Amino acid sequence: MQDLAILKPDSVAQAIALHGAGEGARYLAGGTDLVPNLRRNIQKAQRLIDVSGLAELCEIRAESQSLRIGAGVTLEALCESEAMRRHAPLLAQAAAQVAGATHRAAATVGGNLMQDTRCYFYNQSDWWRTANEYCMKCEGDTCRVAPKSDRCYACYSGDLAPALLVLGAEVDIAGPTGNRREPLAALFADDGMRHLKLAPGDLLLSVDVPPQSGWSAGYEKIRVRGAIDFPLAGIAVALRRDGDRIAELRVACTGVNSFPGLVPGLDALAGQAPDDVFFAALDKAVRKAIQPMESTLVAAGYRRRVAAALAKRLVERLCQAGGKSQSR
Amino acid sequence: MKRILRIRVNGRWREDAAADNTLLIDYLREQLGLTGTKQGCDGGECGACTVLVDGRPRLSCCTFAAAVEGRHVETIESQSQNGRLSPLQQAFHEKLGAQCGFCTPGMIMAAESLLRRNPNPGEAEIREALGGNLCRCTGYVKIIESVQAACPDRLEKTGEPA
Amino acid sequence: MSTRPFKGVGERLPLVDGIEKVTGRAKYTADLFPADALVGKILRSPVPHAELIEVDASEARRLPGVVAVVTGEDCDVPYGILPIAQNEFPLARGKVRYFGEPVAAVAAVDEQTAERALKLIRLHVRELPIIENAAQARAPGAVLLHDNKAGNIEREVHNEFGNAAEGFAAAHLIREQTYHTAEVTHAQMEPHAAMASYDPSRDHLTLHTVSMVPYYVHLRVAQCLGLDTSRVRVIKPYVGGGFGSRVETLNFEIIVSLLARAAGGTVRMQLTREESILTHRGRPESDTRMKLGMTRDGRITACECEVVQRGGAYGGYGIITILYAGALINGLYDVPAVKYDGYRVYSNTPPCGAMRGHGTVNTRIAFESLMTSMAIELGLDPIEVRRRNLLPCPTETINGLRVESYGLPECLDKVEAASGWRERRGRMPKWKGLGMACSHFVSGSAKPVHFTGQPHATVVLKLDFDGGITILTGAADVGQGCTTIVAQVVVEVLGVDWRRVRVISNDSAVTPKDNGSYSSRVTFMVGNACLDAAQKLKQTLVEAAARRLEVAPERVECLGEAFQVAGDPSRSIGFGDATAEALVNTGTLHFKGTFTCPVEFQGGKHRGGAVGSTMGFSYAAQAVEVSVDPDTGRISVDKVWAALDCGFAINPLSVEGQVQGAVWMGMGQGLCEQTRYENGKHAAANFLDYAFPTIAESPPIDVFIVESIDPNGPFGAKEASEGPLSGFPAALADAVREATGLELHDFPLTPERIAEAMEAREREQRAAQRKTGKAAKQPATEGAA
Repeated sequence: MQDLAILKPDSVAQAIALHGAGEGARYLAGGTDLVPNLRRNIQKAQRLIDVSGLAELCEIRAESQSLRIGAGVTLEALCESEAMRRHAPLLAQAAAQVAGATHRAAATVGGNLMQDTRCYFYNQSDWWRTANEYCMKCEGDTCRVAPKSDRCYACYSGDLAPALLVLGAEVDIAGPTGNRREPLAALFADDGMRHLKLAPGDLLLSVDVPPQSGWSAGYEKIRVRGAIDFPLAGIAVALRRDGDRIAELRVACTGVNSFPGLVPGLDALAGQAPDDVFFAALDKAVRKAIQPMESTLVAAGYRRRVAAALAKRLVERLCQAGGKSQSR
Repeated sequence: MKRILRIRVNGRWREDAAADNTLLIDYLREQLGLTGTKQGCDGGECGACTVLVDGRPRLSCCTFAAAVEGRHVETIESQSQNGRLSPLQQAFHEKLGAQCGFCTPGMIMAAESLLRRNPNPGEAEIREALGGNLCRCTGYVKIIESVQAACPDRLEKTGEPA
Repeated sequence: MSTRPFKGVGERLPLVDGIEKVTGRAKYTADLFPADALVGKILRSPVPHAELIEVDASEARRLPGVVAVVTGEDCDVPYGILPIAQNEFPLARGKVRYFGEPVAAVAAVDEQTAERALKLIRLHVRELPIIENAAQARAPGAVLLHDNKAGNIEREVHNEFGNAAEGFAAAHLIREQTYHTAEVTHAQMEPHAAMASYDPSRDHLTLHTVSMVPYYVHLRVAQCLGLDTSRVRVIKPYVGGGFGSRVETLNFEIIVSLLARAAGGTVRMQLTREESILTHRGRPESDTRMKLGMTRDGRITACECEVVQRGGAYGGYGIITILYAGALINGLYDVPAVKYDGYRVYSNTPPCGAMRGHGTVNTRIAFESLMTSMAIELGLDPIEVRRRNLLPCPTETINGLRVESYGLPECLDKVEAASGWRERRGRMPKWKGLGMACSHFVSGSAKPVHFTGQPHATVVLKLDFDGGITILTGAADVGQGCTTIVAQVVVEVLGVDWRRVRVISNDSAVTPKDNGSYSSRVTFMVGNACLDAAQKLKQTLVEAAARRLEVAPERVECLGEAFQVAGDPSRSIGFGDATAEALVNTGTLHFKGTFTCPVEFQGGKHRGGAVGSTMGFSYAAQAVEVSVDPDTGRISVDKVWAALDCGFAINPLSVEGQVQGAVWMGMGQGLCEQTRYENGKHAAANFLDYAFPTIAESPPIDVFIVESIDPNGPFGAKEASEGPLSGFPAALADAVREATGLELHDFPLTPERIAEAMEAREREQRAAQRKTGKAAKQPATEGAA
């Protein structure tokens, strides 16, 4: 383990101040993503600002205009929260599919959203990476997945982000220059090395989920096993029905790009009935939106195919379910 | 950087000097000699190191000791009282929930945290709660049976309602 | 005083060492490390294949805190499990042959210093082409891993029993298919660890290690260090699983010993999970070409089988593995002719070795899969076809294997009934399927790896002034429960209170030599040796009691905790008094029990004929129910019914646990497990990428115990832990065939493969539709199409 100091702020303001007070600072919450990476030396830190104890980050509040989820809320708490089950069951559903129960007891909403991207050339021991002459993401200059590219193709693998994206969530971020609120989608960039658009010292405070009246939503991921695994592909769908037609549709994915993203180009499907033409267009849109690379040992082609299949299946299920059970 | 850690371990408050980068598993095993907690992987993949922190399961290999200052850490060593096995320990013993025994401490601690919240879980809930704990010997069948078998005894002992 | 003897066998008893495991008191090797021990770390080859020109450790040696550095220079004695195939050095010499092969090691005052020292060691290598698979290895002009092994072939096996050509001539249906099975590894939960202490004044070495074969480790460590075996002591603490990963001496065991001697002290060595996985010795990637002949009523007339195994960089158990793969085609069914060609090939990957079901699993997958396919083609029920090919019993197979007990018919009955086979097979709902297969395994290799002329198993019972019975055994319990079995045998024979018996195992300074926990030999062989020793002890106590009671020994009845004159409860003495009498004039008593497999069980006379020979085969049948997700190709195993003929269940609870574990491990191989190498580098040496099943998706496994009472096993017992594994993958594929209509030959059956196969089928169907569509428009071409 690298040599480092652990600092324990009493407040968000102090956390940000501590972060800026020296070199090599990182925020630490549940540690389930960061600590294995520190152990493997693929992420570095000289000072860890432990924000897991900050009560102001640990609240779930159902407000009139939104559901506010503190970044420090654990995934376990999210799964068990009555407010969540009532107002945004999709989030509980997605959170329940993260890793294993023990991970979820420590892992937080913020940590899950901002987890590091993954690649089998990157998530290896120091010795392995040395022998492989490193990679662009850490200490090297070549992307081992796409050696000719000038960017890194490490894959984003968080389960919560696609669910929050289809719910139209916004995030509150505090930083050295003040607080800001922005759409969750604006937090991410299509770059395996810099997939988070955060300035040094920025700290995610909370996620705000707007009301979902009339919407139904679902999340499904494909993984090798029934627990522990990161998604090979994960799809969240939210839709609003109007009789036999789909009035509005949002689809977001994870595990298939360097960032979690809403599938663009679905506006054209609004108002259509979910028939073969609809699903062909959906399939095309999903495939166009994703670019899984050989960053996992499971072939990219399979992940692409299955992402599209999951999107179709979720839409079908949500239509069959009558669009009521998961609505807010 | 070193600090004096104040942690409650298995019911006793302790003060120990430890470097900030000390992982909880190393603090428990090497500084306190509590070797019941096992390291089975290179970080966060197997659950063998599961302990309880304030009653909730925690991977001690992904946790800095300094991060749990002031909190209550429980390890497998705390589970038997005056040498009497806990209901879960008894059940894992009698139902062969442990073969090689290496995943067992983590498995029992994860199950213990489940039963504290849900004294009478169904099979699906047991599978859910132990999803992060790998075992290579049993095929898990007798682990599930062990947890189920522990429920009545545990209820009797703690008087918690079903 | 109890007047009824205690019961030892046939009871569902918890493990005698189970309390330690559930309380965390059980000390595994890494739990014993003293705080002041030096930390040992290994420098591993960063290239898969190269000439090793220089290992320059001078800078590392100068680093403060470094106490010892060893390289290939420090040991020029090769090692390996087979005396005829020792071609591996603990630290590479001359060449490195796989990514991760140890090249140097350091002992330092702490971990950070040891790690820093490793980075200071300079390797000068000249890289060589990489052999990644068997086809590359066998290609003309391929670079040779070992100069004396032409074509990179470690061993070819060619034999024929019966007349295959005649058999195929008599068949109504002949089918041939090649099955590919990926390499899998043991992934036991406890990472490798060892600790060596060297005492320079006495030139003594003590080694604590995770071995399943402490005796072989003892021999090899002594050999490599040039130490007389009498100055080595090997202790096996609690071990967190084996499955074959630890049935030969492993490089780190010798390396830590070399370091301890170089440092003149105690060195601890804990391997990472990554290092543990690449120490490997798992099941080789295999291509199995299987050809069977069958009559129209389902009788097998002949089998032709070619197996190519990618064995990795060194010999290891390779010769045995390739022999097993052919030998155990026999012994399960009555196959009148078998022609076998086996090729064990070297490659620049970590050495393979023995893994649960050693050598037999991949061949069994191919055999069972093809047998079922042919049954279906002939319109016969797969279970019925197996019934038509049962062996007579007792019998000797065409390759000289003896079968003295045979519970397979009953296993089939049990699985057929429990799974609802007759009602459900072929009528499962869409995307669901039910499949089955059979398997078997030896209860100990009838000929040990090393020929010494010694008994195949030796156990000592010590009886002393305290009246305690101490079982001294070298049998290595790694979680499979053999310590419990030996205690049960002793209690059963003597009828004594459990609390009177303790087991001391695996300290070469104390316990008798044991060949180790491999080939499922312990219950059968050590169980029999234990039986022998316990009977001797009982006889001595009966005679002593007779002296006290002043009657002839024949009149003394042993009641376990008491001895009485037969039919006269008023004349009895307790166990303690009998012991005191027995010790008069002699003192502490040791009763040695031994067991040796008679030569007539040691296999055919042909070269390699000893491999596969055993005194008793376990037999298993299993049925597997699955659902397949048509969108993702993901299989979920919903339920398994497994029946095992273990001869006699000394501990039914333990037998169930072994069967469940074995079936489940077969499930891992069938569903998702595979080691992966990319450009010669391991790519899945962790528990995310080497993904074995979690509790979430593991099915209920119902176990049915069949007791055929083997005439030679202790109380009729045979093995219980390996046989049930190899049936699973073929049963799975059979179930997937019913669920999807796909016949798959590449294992594991990953979602990726299923989805690909479904997509390929859709493409074919579309193409066929286009074709017929065209044909309909152009009737003239119909004939040609």
